[in-house]
Amino acid sequence: MKPAIFDYEVATSIEHAVRLLSSSDNSKIIAGGQSLMPIINFRLLEPSLLVDITRLPDLQGIKSTLGGGISIGASTKHHELETSLLIKERFPLISDAMKHVAHLAIRNKGTIGGSLSHADPAAELPLLMLLLDAVLHITGPTGLRKISVKEFLVGALTTILEDNEILTRIDIPSLPKRTNFAFNELSQRAGDLALCAVGVTISMSSGMLGRTKKIKDARIGLMGVNDTAIRISEAENLLIGRSSLDSSIIDQVAQICTSTISPNTDLHASADFRRHLALQMTKKTLTEAWEKAQASKTSENQNKENQSEENL
Amino acid sequence: MTNKYIGSRVKRKEDPRLLTGNGRYVDDIKIVGQLHIAFYRSDHSHARICNIDTQAAKCSPGVIDVFTEKDICEYYSPVIAQSRMKNYQATVMSILAKDKVRYVGEPIVAVVAESRYAAEDAAALIAVDYEALPFITDPKVAAQLNAPKLHEELDSNILVERSFRRGDVEQAFWKPQVHIKEQFRFNRKTSVAMENRTYLANYDCTLNHLTLYSSTQVPGIIKDALSDLLNIPGNELRVIAPDVGGGFGGKTSLYPEEILVVLLARKLKKPVKWASDRLEDLTTTSQAFDELIDAEIAVDADGKILGLKAEVIGDVGAYSIYPWTAGIEPVQVISFLPGPYKIENYDAHVRAVATSKSPTGPYRGVGRPCSTFVMERLIDLASEQLDMDPKEMRLKNLVQPDEFPYKAASGIVWDKSGFVEGLNAACDAINYDELRDQQARARDEGRLFGIGISTFAELTGIGSRISASPGMPINTGTETASISIDSTGSIVARFGVASHGQGLETSLAQVVAEHLNVSIDSVRIIHGDSDAVAHSTGTYASRSAALGSGAAILATRALNVKLLKIASILLGDEEENIFIQDGFFFNKNTDKSLSLKALAKAYYSQMGSIPAELKEEIGDLSATKTYDPLWGTTSSATHVVALEIDRISLKVKISKYIVAEDCGQMINPLIVEGQVHGGVAQGIGAALFEEMVYDEQGQALSASLADYIVPAATEIPRIDIEHLDVELPPTLSGVRGMGESGTIGAPAAIANAISDALAPLDQYVTELPMTPERIFRLVQAAQNPSS
Ligand SMILES: Cc1cc2nc3c(=O)[nH]c(=O)nc-3n(C[C@H](O)[C@H](O)[C@H](O)COP(=O)(O)OP(=O)(O)OC[C@H]3O[C@@H](n4cnc5c(N)ncnc54)[C@H](O)[C@@H]3O)c2cc1C
Repeated sequence: MKPAIFDYEVATSIEHAVRLLSSSDNSKIIAGGQSLMPIINFRLLEPSLLVDITRLPDLQGIKSTLGGGISIGASTKHHELETSLLIKERFPLISDAMKHVAHLAIRNKGTIGGSLSHADPAAELPLLMLLLDAVLHITGPTGLRKISVKEFLVGALTTILEDNEILTRIDIPSLPKRTNFAFNELSQRAGDLALCAVGVTISMSSGMLGRTKKIKDARIGLMGVNDTAIRISEAENLLIGRSSLDSSIIDQVAQICTSTISPNTDLHASADFRRHLALQMTKKTLTEAWEKAQASKTSENQNKENQSEENL
Repeated sequence: MTNKYIGSRVKRKEDPRLLTGNGRYVDDIKIVGQLHIAFYRSDHSHARICNIDTQAAKCSPGVIDVFTEKDICEYYSPVIAQSRMKNYQATVMSILAKDKVRYVGEPIVAVVAESRYAAEDAAALIAVDYEALPFITDPKVAAQLNAPKLHEELDSNILVERSFRRGDVEQAFWKPQVHIKEQFRFNRKTSVAMENRTYLANYDCTLNHLTLYSSTQVPGIIKDALSDLLNIPGNELRVIAPDVGGGFGGKTSLYPEEILVVLLARKLKKPVKWASDRLEDLTTTSQAFDELIDAEIAVDADGKILGLKAEVIGDVGAYSIYPWTAGIEPVQVISFLPGPYKIENYDAHVRAVATSKSPTGPYRGVGRPCSTFVMERLIDLASEQLDMDPKEMRLKNLVQPDEFPYKAASGIVWDKSGFVEGLNAACDAINYDELRDQQARARDEGRLFGIGISTFAELTGIGSRISASPGMPINTGTETASISIDSTGSIVARFGVASHGQGLETSLAQVVAEHLNVSIDSVRIIHGDSDAVAHSTGTYASRSAALGSGAAILATRALNVKLLKIASILLGDEEENIFIQDGFFFNKNTDKSLSLKALAKAYYSQMGSIPAELKEEIGDLSATKTYDPLWGTTSSATHVVALEIDRISLKVKISKYIVAEDCGQMINPLIVEGQVHGGVAQGIGAALFEEMVYDEQGQALSASLADYIVPAATEIPRIDIEHLDVELPPTLSGVRGMGESGTIGAPAAIANAISDALAPLDQYVTELPMTPERIFRLVQAAQNPSS
């Protein structure tokens, strides 16, 4: 289980990386190597050139952006996302969900850019970025383009990236005020890729001047149960404008989610089992998010108060 | 004598080395000029080899040479596991596949190169043309006499066939109150030692001597086999098992790669290494279980077992493994099926069937994880029909304390062990009655809460009257210890057993230090080396503590006789006035004393200190003794587990786990507990996670650790242990073997607890492992009973 022979270059700038990638028709970016190395050790891929982008300063770190968003360099490591105070404050959903990504040793090497580009259907970051409406910066020989996560993810282990393009940055816009969330994941063992995970955010209207508070924005995303992480807009739309959720609505939403996904059968779970998980976990996660939304006081910065959910 | 070391929680001597990363495993040994092997392995499960093209590989950079079976067959005799069993058909295994392949992963070509990288690059250039032959993957089909044969020269694919019969089974099954008939399946698993199999052979041309460093549990067996197969005199061959990172049975057999490194080192006159990668280890190290068991039990209205029947098919894979044979696992399933219970009427039949999958072999617990699973499920199924508590039904049928020795239905004789005491102790410790109340409350809340019991017995530390594998013609019944004190007064104790995680460096040092009455720090243990003693078979079958300590006791006794003689001369008094304590000899009557070191110096180095005739009689200060426990001894345990199935994830969460076990005299409770914990963890793996999945074409689907799921620390609950103090067994040290009990008891207890949890849905377990997917299917079946 040794890789075939390859060259290795450390890029010193984004342009340099793009040039290196374009210099060979069998080149590949290496970031944390946590997904790529097993693949090349199994000789499933035999790239002749690996371009290391982990030392590019432009690709590092998490910055605050105007209006309460953040911008993450693609080579930022999972562990930094998990522990960043800025993320905890603005997007506690990420801090919570990152605990499910592999194990500490892997989180110390793996990067957000690597995870998104690898596009494993059971990986957390594509789902999180989809839920948070992230915008991806992609740099290639012709310059920079920005696209949504939905457009980026094409299928299992497939994205729209060209061979000489680099995912450089991920921008996450701020969430609406009064947003609560819940996230649940099931994997066989702690740290394994998910059999199913569900994330829900619910944002309420202000309820000022005695108006009833209503759901202003709702997002439901699932992964592990479809070719790619998936948002269920039909289910989201069913929630918007509601001031209360009873169990029949929750059931209906979960049913819609379950009939929208198209899960696979593999060694670990059948499509039927994954559908069962999707249905039950959507109910549970939506219920939890809704309970939190109701429990929250109408203070301005509610994200701070959100407590992490007990996971399955 | 007061016990100073035996029975104490002595910290393991090997741990500082192993836990700080300073262990020395085979792959850590690097000999200048060593060459590396990579294999081209079959990707067909059953096919004729039409052509092998190695031309491009031979020209690849860094390649020394490339070998097929044709190039090496004249240097060795093929591997044939013999047995005296009736109805046994041995298979012939070559090192590299000859003419045809019989499982995916079977080695066909060996590339020898300057590095493993270069060897793999070249292996990727090899092209083999195959002619596909019929897949032989379903053991039920393969067992039919008209099925295509995996080994053409044999009569059928049935390598072993055996029956056990006692009493009048017909009568027992004539209208019993309860008659349970069920088919059970324990799927295939594998050992997954932390250290993959690795071999390094070094040929010293100037001395005409070969050393094999092998990650084996059985250096003695490997040496004997290599000497025969390669026709090398034993004094030109040494097999060393340095630190070995786990075995679990997977490292007890002789492997083709192991023979090949030695053969090639001799042929190329260079050190040759092969370290398997995880893919190779998962697919080519001997696998386990894969049993299909049709079983029936007849029970009267009082819960008394009237009779037991079983029809077993063991899927043993492509070859009958050396030296254990294909009988090792399947035959023991029916040998041990009656378990610790009094069953007068028994009829069981087993067939070990060859299929085009990796060979199976011994795995921690051998046969008993499967037999215990089946027997314990049968008891629970019967007790449910009788509306009797499963504990109650066990108590009624267990061999009672006054009924030992008891000859079980298959002929095994149980010496006295705490069967009933173990069941009671485990239930008391877990607060069984209160747990049942808790379960009732949980059920009222709609929760799937289950309690499972398993009680079992095993035969351990077996001596020369019973073979470790039925009919196998090698001696597994003795072990030797050789203890010597050198001219500096330091003590070395040599053993043939070969620790690979069990802590024998500590427990055997405890025995030696205790019986020589010296400090444990002054004892050095040498093991895992075929040069240590003249004959040994190594460590497996829960034998090393029982046999190793027995040999150590005999050797220390003989050595003490010599020491006393010398001390009496040096201290100038009769022997009965001399005693030894903490490494010093004292004269009871005077205040004279003498250290062991001074004694050894005086004896060896002071001319004239000891009369010449006596010196001639005593020889050097060493003793070599061999111990044979003849029949071996019974170990027993009860496991009780409480668990809950999550309604959404259908995952099992174990909340309580208790083991009450009788292992006789504990040499070191820390080590005993570690063995139980590790065994139960592995048993949880077998019960809930681990499965080697093959498709109908014989492709191994779970061939990486992403797909073959072993439990990690996060999946293992707290495990509590009760040690029973019943009666010491007849082994010399009072030790019963206990290295396998965890893997034997856990799958059955968990299967019972899951069934108990699913009882409100009218579902139960007949197959392991019980993955969330399988539990999901049971829950589905409960919801749509029609489909
Ligand atoms: C045992 C184990 C368990 C794991 N469990 C999980 C889990 O539970 N959840 C989870 O999400 N992940 C899991 N992973 C995967 C882990 O998170 C990886 O680190 C991640 O998927 C890839 O990140 P990387 O930086 O290591 O990328 P690499 O392995 O270096 O690269 C992955 C792929 O992305 C490409 N690539 C990398 N960076 C870029 C970029 N900036 N632009 C364009 N292409 C790029 C590479 O060319 C390659 O094709 C696990 C990994 C292991 C080994």
